[in-house]
Amino acid sequence: MSDDHKHAPMVDEVSEFEILEIAVRELAIEKGLFTQEDHNKWTEYMHTLGPLPAARLVAKAWLDPEFKKLAVEDGVKASLEVGIDWIRTMPTQFGTPSDYCSFRVMEDTPTLKHVVVCTLCSCYPRPILGQSPEWYRTPNYRRRLVRWPRQVLSEFGLQLPEDVEVRVVDSNQKSRFIVLPVRPEGTEGWNEDQLTEIVTRDCLIGVAVPKPGKTANDPRPVRKALKPYDH
Amino acid sequence: MSNKPVYDREHHVKKATGIGDPQCFTGEAPAAKFKVGDQLRVRDLPDLFYTRTQTYLRGTACTVSAVVYESPAAEDESWDNTDKVEWFYSLVFKQSDLWPDYPSAFGNDTLETELPERWLESA
Repeated sequence: MSDDHKHAPMVDEVSEFEILEIAVRELAIEKGLFTQEDHNKWTEYMHTLGPLPAARLVAKAWLDPEFKKLAVEDGVKASLEVGIDWIRTMPTQFGTPSDYCSFRVMEDTPTLKHVVVCTLCSCYPRPILGQSPEWYRTPNYRRRLVRWPRQVLSEFGLQLPEDVEVRVVDSNQKSRFIVLPVRPEGTEGWNEDQLTEIVTRDCLIGVAVPKPGKTANDPRPVRKALKPYDH
Repeated sequence: MSNKPVYDREHHVKKATGIGDPQCFTGEAPAAKFKVGDQLRVRDLPDLFYTRTQTYLRGTACTVSAVVYESPAAEDESWDNTDKVEWFYSLVFKQSDLWPDYPSAFGNDTLETELPERWLESA
């Protein structure tokens, strides 16, 4: 290693929003609105969340028509069977303004395909699906999905025939949504674990459909700039 | 003695803990005005401070697909006014009604979202 080697910076750049969050958090703790322990507990809870319980809920619904009926009618109750208590698991014990306790499972059919967005902000069923992907929160996805859903789905590699009704679900009040996709062909005789593996996060948002052998999300679409900055 | 009103800043926590929000408002709304299958229209009300009713929905016809829960509307709840609880509805819109130039080849496409009762009227 030569002497003029450039050292990596000690810390990544801290964004203004991170500084703002720390400032507000410290003021709130000083004022006694919550304690550092409350904050730790919440942070640790958020890190336990991921899409697996929602995938298992879909697999169960594929295998058990009675459970599917329950999931569509009462998502909060059905979630209990995959270990998610929307009300009591959360440290607040009642939800939060971004995680209300109304959860709806939108059932696809061969002629109806749901896809979820929050045009207002980033509402997402975090207790059962984890943190939203970065693209879900972008204005690009939010404003274009309601206006040009088929074009946006094409960018995710999902092209649907004309006779399939595309239904965009805009989650802008207190319900949070996942999509219950159609069980794909080629999964006959599979057990719950095998089925759970092919229900990816993107399938649960509705921008992809499950396929046997496909157990990961595709890389997110990148739209190249039409007139890239030349340097 | 101060005449400053005593305001309970924890009223929502006390009400919702262990019950959930919107579950904690169950039974507080007047009877639901609309039912599943009703043809409605989104009213074009002024929104001076806060709303969650998207502009793109205003004035558009829709069909009730579910009567979902009772809750204060966002316009009130954003100011912590939770005493006026109303029914929320899940509504299905035709994309061709929302966007005049939506491709006619995809005339079956729809959009579903929820709105509180105050924003809705019979079509």
